[in-house]
Amino acid sequence: MSAEKKDYLLVDENGQGKPDKPWIFRTYAGHTNAKASNELYRKNLSKGQTGLSIAFDLPTQCGYSSDHEVSRPEIGKVGVPINSLEDFRILFDQIPIEEMNTSMTINGTSMWLLSLYVALAEERGLPLEKLNGTTQNDLIKEYLARGTYIYPPKESMKIIVDMYEYCLHNIPKWNPSNICSYHLQEAGATPVQELSFALATAIAVLDAIKERNCFTADEFEQCVGRISFFVNAGIRFVEEMCKMRAFTEMWEEITKERYGVKTAKYRVFRYGVQVNSLGLTEEQPENNAWRILIESLGVTLSRNARCRALQLPAWNEALSLPRPWDQQWSLRLQQVLAYETDLLEYPDIFEGSKVIESKVKALKEEAKLEIQKIVDMGGALVAIENGYMKSQLVKSQTERLSKINSNELVIVGKNKWTDGIKSPLMTDSDGGIFKVDPKSAEQTLNVLAEAKTRRNADLAKKSIEDLKQAAKDGKNLMPFSIACAKALVTTGEWADALREVYGEYNPPTGVDGQKLFLSDDKVSTVRGKVEAFTKANGHRPKIVVGKPGLDGHSNGAEMIAVSAKHSGFDVIYSGIRLSPEEIVQSAVEENANVIGLSILSGSHKEIVKQLFDELTHYKAKIPVVIGGIIPESDFEELKKMGIREIFTPKDYDLMSIMEKIIDIVSVEPALV
Amino acid sequence: MAPLLFDTKESLSQLVSEALLGEKYPIAKLISKIETENNLEFREFLFQELILQNPNAKEGLTIGITGTPGAGKSSLLGELCKLFLDFAPDKKMAIVAIDPSSNVSGGSILGDRTRVTLPRRDNRIYFRSQPSQLELGGLNPYTYHVIRFLRRVFDYVFVETVGIGQNEISVSLISDLSFLVMQPLGGDQVQFMKSGIMEVPEAFIINKCDEESLANSSYYMLESTLEFIKDILPDQSLPPIFKTSVTKRKGIEELLSYILQYQKRKDKNTETLTQLTQWIRNEYGRWGISIWEKLESSQWNQAVKRNPLGGIHKLKYEEEERKFVSLIQTKIK
Repeated sequence: MSAEKKDYLLVDENGQGKPDKPWIFRTYAGHTNAKASNELYRKNLSKGQTGLSIAFDLPTQCGYSSDHEVSRPEIGKVGVPINSLEDFRILFDQIPIEEMNTSMTINGTSMWLLSLYVALAEERGLPLEKLNGTTQNDLIKEYLARGTYIYPPKESMKIIVDMYEYCLHNIPKWNPSNICSYHLQEAGATPVQELSFALATAIAVLDAIKERNCFTADEFEQCVGRISFFVNAGIRFVEEMCKMRAFTEMWEEITKERYGVKTAKYRVFRYGVQVNSLGLTEEQPENNAWRILIESLGVTLSRNARCRALQLPAWNEALSLPRPWDQQWSLRLQQVLAYETDLLEYPDIFEGSKVIESKVKALKEEAKLEIQKIVDMGGALVAIENGYMKSQLVKSQTERLSKINSNELVIVGKNKWTDGIKSPLMTDSDGGIFKVDPKSAEQTLNVLAEAKTRRNADLAKKSIEDLKQAAKDGKNLMPFSIACAKALVTTGEWADALREVYGEYNPPTGVDGQKLFLSDDKVSTVRGKVEAFTKANGHRPKIVVGKPGLDGHSNGAEMIAVSAKHSGFDVIYSGIRLSPEEIVQSAVEENANVIGLSILSGSHKEIVKQLFDELTHYKAKIPVVIGGIIPESDFEELKKMGIREIFTPKDYDLMSIMEKIIDIVSVEPALV
Repeated sequence: MAPLLFDTKESLSQLVSEALLGEKYPIAKLISKIETENNLEFREFLFQELILQNPNAKEGLTIGITGTPGAGKSSLLGELCKLFLDFAPDKKMAIVAIDPSSNVSGGSILGDRTRVTLPRRDNRIYFRSQPSQLELGGLNPYTYHVIRFLRRVFDYVFVETVGIGQNEISVSLISDLSFLVMQPLGGDQVQFMKSGIMEVPEAFIINKCDEESLANSSYYMLESTLEFIKDILPDQSLPPIFKTSVTKRKGIEELLSYILQYQKRKDKNTETLTQLTQWIRNEYGRWGISIWEKLESSQWNQAVKRNPLGGIHKLKYEEEERKFVSLIQTKIK
């Protein structure tokens, strides 16, 4: 044993060199159906993945069973469909859930999914204390950015508090919610907004728990210790690292000062990360590999603010769903970083750095002001309902896009150094992308139909009625949900029961009053064409921006709405989760000159077909354009169906998009 | 120059007959045409055709709904729509929502549809947005004509505008029944009293009455404010006040029954004259008004104004507008 103390080494109590344990390696995964996802998980675990991160499909997230009419185009597309306990039995077949750290990225229906997990554990005879993991359950980011909310803010918060109360007493190692700022960055949040909105959300959760007054002082401390965070790390990795340090320090301060938490370990900022996929490009997609590596450094380099769990997107995520090989490549990056390099052998390497410290300080100061603003407003829930946070995000996003458009923000391969050799990674027979077999939904539907016939119908009905009554009485819903799970109640039935009592929420779109900061030649060209149209037709061109289906990623739709207004269009934008029927009805009643659809979930073919059927019903010939993550291999089919123009992430130049649209509108025979 | 769809009277008459059947796309196209500049001639054809095809039609009741931004007007309308389908199974309604958003480009974002969930493929409810086109008066220059058209197709026509001051009350001039929507304890009372707007609407709605006690205190505050006005205008009876809550689904049935049972119609001659005056003022300013006042027919108009129910034929708007236009052209030359 060396007597000399080396500041640069991490040692155990005996002075022996002892590197940190690596973070949990996860892959956000799930697709097709429970059976296919189960196979995928088992393969990933055998490759050295150390935790599960379950991606659910959109119907499951929005509280619809697969046999609901809106589910059809989405089954198994962006995650695994879960209809009842039967699907969980298949999903976790041969996986020891008592040894897993399972993260479920689900919000509106998180109580339901946790109930299914509990029911599965009890069926397997496992003590609940052994269950370890996280349900995301952060509704605020859903209202702001991702769109898979169901109930109004107050009721959603009540469900979250129910879960804290239940988990602390029954599943103490479970994180009932996970404050997620990930999607805020995807929606354009600056580091200050990510800090302040996430922390204001955590404050809202803790305040609601305090208000319920269901814990002793000690239990409340433990409860604070259960709050975890899920963040995003972008490409400006030094700033991102400082953001993580600011998070850590601010959480320590908030828990100590606002909530009087005495035990140090319950004040620790615990977080998982998925690094940013917003910045990934469809152009020269192989460059994304480097972006992902650099973004990982932002959350791993700094020992005082290192992530607890990490998941990386795949290099080709801007194109479509990644294939198993692509996910394996991402996992290998983590393993190289953790096991090959010396990263985990050192104490915090930035301690004492003037640059880092002053940057952290600056971020903290700005974020504190913003948090104060939200708290003064009445807290995060109020700032959601009055549209404040949403409009701030849309503003940041328009600023960011304006900068990309004006080349002030360089994106390699997109607006600079755009010429390159085509990637040989894309030349595989599958074109380098993954597609869900449309027939696989049948399997899910069969399992669902069978579960419904096999269950005790009276018991299922009674447990649903009990759940409704409990909701009306304001009781903790967890035990009633678990009873539903055991009675083979379906996801849609569970969500509908609460919809009936709580209602559904329709948040502000955030686009009112937004401005783009673009004023170059292209803008005047487009405005010129819009003026010419107006002169020829006697009124401004009108666009209906439609966001159909359950896919709630509305950034694209919002940016098009704002750009169209900037160009001089009259814009009708009514937010997310509209049916093709509703979109066409708007376009018909408003006599729109063009419909612009935004679809990112891969369901474009099904939805476009429904839309044209509806246009035929009204005998309306309104041109339709579409934007989203749409593989080139689908272009021809979409055009054949009648789509006039297709925009993908490659088309980042807003005014070029608007120019194409006004050109289409201008050559159409005038409809009035 | 884009070809016009209505270059023959035949296609117009076809669109009108489809519109009268409640078909949405023809209605939408006709509205767009009304919203087009220099549409006097088109309007003449349109209203002629409407009367020709359906001469004895009873005109729909126009309901104006105005109030400060954030008072929840659109959500309230959304709830009214839902109930309307059950309550009035053989009636049809249209909504015109005027959105004030506008900017330098002239473009607009019309967001009012967001708050209203409409049944699909149901011809009994029709929703149309309109940008206010930088007009501070709350009404778009074409709103009046759009309403006039919709009244011949629908039993009820709702007009929603944002009202924040004296200017925005113009919606009450083109509606038979107008509501001012307020929030509980919004401080609106004093503001409205000052601006005199309280005297204009036929009824009041205190929306967002989610909590009983707050709702009641606002109700009594408003009631006493109105009694104060009643002292100034002693011959008027106190207008009704509705307490509504969309989240608690309260008071909306009462509001709807009141609307469905409302019989009183405002005099359309006055409406026509008011709109004509406003149009002249917008187009030709005070000079135009002074010419119009010297008109022979305007003296006749004054007579109508003084005695609106005096058995004089209904004024035809387009006829009056054309009369004025030809007069002003002689003055310009």
